[in-house]
Amino acid sequence: MMTYLIRRVVFQGIPVLIGFTFLVFLMINFAPGDPVTHLRGVPDLDPRVIEQQKTRLGLDRPLIVRYFDWVGELLQGNLGRSFDSARRPVADLIKERMPVTILLSVSSIIIGWGVGIPVGIYSARRQYSLSDYTITFMAFVGVSIPNFFFGLILLYIFALILNVLPAGGYFRPGEDFTFLGMLSYLIMPALTLGLASIASITRYMRSSMLEVINQDYLRTARAKGLRDRVVIYKHALRNALIPILTLMGFMVPLIFSGAVITEQVFSWPGLGRMVIDATHQRNYPLMMGITLVFGVLTFLGNVIADIAYAIADPRIRYD
Amino acid sequence: MKKFMLVFLIMALVIPATAALAQEQEPVSGGTFHRGMVISPRGMFNPILYTETYDAEVITAVYDSLVTANRELEIVPQIAKDWEFSEDGLELTFYLREGVKFHDGVELTAEDVKFTFKTILHPHYSGVRYGDFAVLKGAEAYNAEEVDYVEGIEIIDDYTIRFTTERVHAPLLSEFTYGILPSHILGDVPVAELEAHEFNQNPIGAGPFKFNEFRPDQHVVLDAFEDYYQEGPYLDRMVYQIVDDEARPVYLRQGRLDFVGISSEQIDMVQALDFVDVFDYEALGYSYICFNLRQERFDDNRVRQAVAYGFDRQTVVDIIYDGYSKVANAPMPTVSWAFTDEGINEYPYNPDRAIELMEEAGWERGADGVWEKEDMRMEFEFLYTEATRAQEQSMILFQQNMEDIGFKVNLRPMEFSAAVDRIDAREFDAFTLGWSLGVDPDPYGIWHSTSLWNDAGWVNERSDELIEKGRQTVDQEERAEIYAEWQRLMNEELPNVFFTYSVSVAAANERLMGIDRDPGPQGLFWTEILHELWIPADRQ
Repeated sequence: MMTYLIRRVVFQGIPVLIGFTFLVFLMINFAPGDPVTHLRGVPDLDPRVIEQQKTRLGLDRPLIVRYFDWVGELLQGNLGRSFDSARRPVADLIKERMPVTILLSVSSIIIGWGVGIPVGIYSARRQYSLSDYTITFMAFVGVSIPNFFFGLILLYIFALILNVLPAGGYFRPGEDFTFLGMLSYLIMPALTLGLASIASITRYMRSSMLEVINQDYLRTARAKGLRDRVVIYKHALRNALIPILTLMGFMVPLIFSGAVITEQVFSWPGLGRMVIDATHQRNYPLMMGITLVFGVLTFLGNVIADIAYAIADPRIRYD
Repeated sequence: MKKFMLVFLIMALVIPATAALAQEQEPVSGGTFHRGMVISPRGMFNPILYTETYDAEVITAVYDSLVTANRELEIVPQIAKDWEFSEDGLELTFYLREGVKFHDGVELTAEDVKFTFKTILHPHYSGVRYGDFAVLKGAEAYNAEEVDYVEGIEIIDDYTIRFTTERVHAPLLSEFTYGILPSHILGDVPVAELEAHEFNQNPIGAGPFKFNEFRPDQHVVLDAFEDYYQEGPYLDRMVYQIVDDEARPVYLRQGRLDFVGISSEQIDMVQALDFVDVFDYEALGYSYICFNLRQERFDDNRVRQAVAYGFDRQTVVDIIYDGYSKVANAPMPTVSWAFTDEGINEYPYNPDRAIELMEEAGWERGADGVWEKEDMRMEFEFLYTEATRAQEQSMILFQQNMEDIGFKVNLRPMEFSAAVDRIDAREFDAFTLGWSLGVDPDPYGIWHSTSLWNDAGWVNERSDELIEKGRQTVDQEERAEIYAEWQRLMNEELPNVFFTYSVSVAAANERLMGIDRDPGPQGLFWTEILHELWIPADRQ
């Protein structure tokens, strides 16, 4: 297992990340616009200043040189400084926001999986019943509603009309930091973000369960007199979960990309808001830093899914 | 009986009103003022290095400057109690108040003023303000590292400082609205290292509020500065809360914000809250349609006039913006002291006149109704940046209006950076954007033919002459006359087709006192009166 992990990280992870960051670097640099565009807001600007600023940001150097500069700095653990006027280290900007985003993502994963899996099982066991159809219908609705729209609906119902939940933010200066208080801020964005995964996990779980339920070994289990509960949760579920675990690896980046919009709507001070802003500002070092983080997370998600396979299915062994 | 009732009614109305008025006259201390901000500051809380308005909002509360602008955009004292120009207009002397303290208790003197402005001229200075002060005597020599002093900055004594310019430069006074930095903290920091210095995230100034905490994308917290040199500040605390633009009405509803700018689409929702008041006021800025005058087909001002007549701007203002906008016919906001409407053609919607003008200019309709002249054709690409629904609608109306008078417009929405890229490369036919302006009306930076932002490529000797003369005239009335003539010229030539003056809408909780309930271009409150804001004791 250990050798497998090392092999996976060293021989797959690192080359993939290098190729990936290089592609992203090219893409963001080829996009029209540049990081000094915001100077347009300064009417009495001395023309020399624009050139000075470009030189200072290293934009006068060839693209390929800049990429290797970036990699060189990265190897020394340095993500560079943000291009915006405050010029703060990219690592600091990410560190400040990372925990908040992880809190939101993990909550939404718990909601998504915690609800999606049981509902999927329920739906599969009562295939073609009214409740199955209802769940299927709701799941399609859930997948189809854009994140931001569902977020706005929640906002208007629970904050504007009922006025029971705070309209957004993370916590308020002057307020004591309590678990319940934090939960009141977290619940709407987490639900918003969780909704899409509830819907898709329900669908996957249902079909995966249905495939297993009709297998011979389950009929055997029932035939020897095991209770339905044991048959489903002990024998069927473990096998049905394997394809769902694959999903987990894929869903990590999806959750982060969903967070971009959700964080915006709920003024959640995570990475998502920063991504949008960095993109509009053509803040190359910040975009690269965030991309790298997302890349690493996606890769880790896949590795975790691999490990989870082995746990769920004794037939799977890595050596 | 009826009469008695009426008197009684009037009494009933008058008594609470006067009571409220009395209350308003005696500010009390205490309370936290929550103000909303849609975009987080960067955390560059340094008056000579910041570039974004969100940082500026915080900076104006933390730092005071020599002078500031009042409601009417006139320059008024702040740290400088007085100032004077010499006879020839080349020397500007400031007299500082005594006993002004930085938040760490150290007194602010002429030394700090000198440090602040000398740093801007330093060769290693990394900000963008050099151009504002390049006119100071000896600035260029210092910037080129020929000498280690600036001839034009001279300390007379602890409380008197004199700035000397190479030539008369009227906008200079308004440049001294940048906050003063503490030289006892930053004096020994190499200028090149200033940008990355932790001071920028833990600023110390001499303003009414001292810095407490900055959490990116969440909030900025400022506390009252007890030793402030003017009355107040009455508020204990000022919190800048970052809020998503869609959620602003909800924040107001929940009392989480006392003040925030809102969009005109949100007015109805906010007005329904009985404890929140909505205000609108003309802001310092205008939007415009810019044609690339490097192309011969746009070079005739009759063509541009035809566009002005042919575009129903009043309908855009009345219907699409619900009246929260104003038609512009020259590049000077109506709220500026330099504005004039004398001799200004309003170009009312008149498609027939537009067609006449095109015919006068020698254009003929082609087979498909589009104007043609020699090998030119009046079909062009029109860039606009990703926009609000209202902007989108006005673009569609523009396209339709233009079709009616024989102009074929191909709309092309673009992201801001991408559009600016095309504009900077001069690879465009026409576009629309807006300008926000400073308190001084000097149009040099945008409209002088040598300006960086002369996107239209407009060159006009008379305009350059007037702009230069305006800069060299210190007397406000004389200056206003020069700018009036310039506006008439712009209005006739239409190097841009001026579109609208922007109107800002803001909402304030009624508990917020000391604000201007008849707001001018600076809004409900501005730098000058921050220390006078207060909240009644029973509502804190």
